[in-house]
Amino acid sequence: MDLRAGRPPFLVCVGAGGVGKTTLAAALGLLSARAGHRTLVMTFDPSLRLKDALGVGAAAHGEEVAVPYDAPGSLHASLLDPRKTFDRLVARYAPDDATRDRILGNPYYDHLAGHLGGILEYMAVERLYEVARERRYDRVILDTPPTRQAIDFLEAPQRIVSFLDSGALKIALKPWFDEDGHLQPGGRRLGFIGRGLERFLDRVVGLQLLRDMSEFFRAFEPLFDGFRQRAQAVENLLASPDAHFLLVAGPGEARIPDTLFFARRLKAAGWRLGPLVVNRVHPRFDGGAEGSSAAERDGRQLFAWLGERHARGVDALRALLPPEQQLVALPLEPDEPTDLAALEAMGRRLQELLRSSATDR
Amino acid sequence: MDLYQRLKSRRLLVVTGKGGVGKSAMTAALGRSLAARGRRTLVLEVDPRENLHQLLDVPPSGGEVTRVAADLYLQNLKPKAVVDWLVDEKVPIPMLARRVKESPVYQRFVEGAPGLQEMAIIGHCLRVVSGQAFSRPRIDTVILDAPATGHGIYLLTAPRLFAEAITDGPFHHLAQQGADFVADPDDAGLVIVTLAEEMPVQEALELRQALAERFGRQPDLLITNGLYPPLPPDAAGAGDPLLELWRRRRRINEDELARLERDWQGPKVELPLLPIDRGPALIGALQERLEAVLLGPRGAA
Ligand SMILES: Nc1ncnc2c1ncn2[C@@H]1O[C@H](COP(=O)(O)OP(=O)(O)OP(=O)(O)O)[C@@H](O)[C@H]1O
Ligand SMILES: [Mg+2]
Repeated sequence: MDLRAGRPPFLVCVGAGGVGKTTLAAALGLLSARAGHRTLVMTFDPSLRLKDALGVGAAAHGEEVAVPYDAPGSLHASLLDPRKTFDRLVARYAPDDATRDRILGNPYYDHLAGHLGGILEYMAVERLYEVARERRYDRVILDTPPTRQAIDFLEAPQRIVSFLDSGALKIALKPWFDEDGHLQPGGRRLGFIGRGLERFLDRVVGLQLLRDMSEFFRAFEPLFDGFRQRAQAVENLLASPDAHFLLVAGPGEARIPDTLFFARRLKAAGWRLGPLVVNRVHPRFDGGAEGSSAAERDGRQLFAWLGERHARGVDALRALLPPEQQLVALPLEPDEPTDLAALEAMGRRLQELLRSSATDR
Repeated sequence: MDLYQRLKSRRLLVVTGKGGVGKSAMTAALGRSLAARGRRTLVLEVDPRENLHQLLDVPPSGGEVTRVAADLYLQNLKPKAVVDWLVDEKVPIPMLARRVKESPVYQRFVEGAPGLQEMAIIGHCLRVVSGQAFSRPRIDTVILDAPATGHGIYLLTAPRLFAEAITDGPFHHLAQQGADFVADPDDAGLVIVTLAEEMPVQEALELRQALAERFGRQPDLLITNGLYPPLPPDAAGAGDPLLELWRRRRRINEDELARLERDWQGPKVELPLLPIDRGPALIGALQERLEAVLLGPRGAA
């Protein structure tokens, strides 16, 4: 992968939370703009200083702002605002204003829909799709929400769609309640399991929950088709040759199973796993643990231990990956890159490592 | 009441923080410490990748309550299992209950309904300390190794949001009990773990603020973990890249410590980055250091 070339147009940075995805996404964005491409970086949850560096304050929530960066191409950045994206989606697919208002005003939506499992992740790819369709950029780099495990991001859209598709909703969508809000006796004839379920929902879930959910999802019903088609289109985009994934992992052996699992799943889904970047790897230093004081010797020993341990982790990971999988270890920087110059330097370093590891193979 | 006594008197301690900051390690160290002082403690892990058992040197719990040491127990909890128990309780005919649980509709519902899993986790903690989940062992304190998804505050606020959105029925009842439990200033406490780096410190401060706004409460303790040691003043070898990296990483730590000194009122503990592989030895060393601060040299001895 060489971001100075035109391909791939879509780059999705994935990985568990706290491994440096956002910083790397920004660094690669600068590199891409430097090479002359009109580039958009869609970030999620950047640090305050990174926000400052990119110039994406509160105004950038859901909007694209130009980054003050002098380059042959251009760089825009946006902050994903899941609630805004969701609201916008509702507004777009609602057949009329009354439906829209009914959804947006439902207490269930207001309190809980923002926490629908995987909604953040879904909204992230949803935005990518929107931007892709508008074709205003040569390249879009998508940073992803800080999931617990990298795999959560991949599964989220499917989880949402199957939740929307599931019988739970069909039950919720049934006319459960008559005009007075009482459970309709009888209604449709239910089988044995259906009756058990009904009883369960009644007894355990409670009618109020059903009533609110039912109302919420009934209001949503006209949107479902649009929603489902959209989810399909998003999946197609991610599976197309235009989209590559950059998997970012933390150092340390504890993370290896996660990383491997994710890489395999991506491949199995037919998606394109680009390079795997192990970030913030402690460098190894020559020389022993001597020093002029006990404190210095202890410190040197700590650094030696960290260097060893991280190198061991990277080696172990490499041994487990298929030989054609590109893997680079990006060293821990002395300072956190928080201005554009430092970010660009980091992007160059990464690009350099990618190039040399590509020719190694 | 002094800090350690407060921690020890809690029925629920929620250990939270960004991914990878050392929540599981602190949960294990705190659990060992409380148990060693006669508080019957259950450390509860909500993570499909079980790893607390490794830190405590026992086989994986596989969902069961496992004895670790005198007064110390471990459980790995799948939130879905809690909802399953609820079904068993509310649907008294076993065969019917089983078929409900097997139906895909139910499974999707449990997986997808917002707030449900969080509510189930808190509900389980409450049932454990009130002896409803199991009668033996009788647990005094649950230390919850909170999942690092999203903002830590959601775990605490979800029961209340749920209770507000759903205004009657058994789920409302359960959510309300959970909400009361986490809001009770005598029952529940929050331990925030962070690294001395910008992002986790920022999140810790935001969490603190959210807690104050929504619950009118303060966290019991802030643990700043993984600190690089201070650079000794006589280690001045110019141009040594190791010393340069050490100096500058330590400076990042110090900047964040200064920020916490300024913006964080309340108890805090600092723990060093230790050159020990993950496992019981690391937990022992962390426990010792925690106790040295929380109990003073006298109590730790
Ligand atoms: N003070 C410390 N010194 C050295 N290593 C530490 C220290 N604290 C934690 N670790 C190590 O850091 C890694 C992450 O710790 P831990 O698993 O406790 O984090 P966590 O917050 O529970 O992570 P997750 O969010 O993935 O559950 C582990 O390998 C652990 O052994
Ligand atoms: Mg953990």
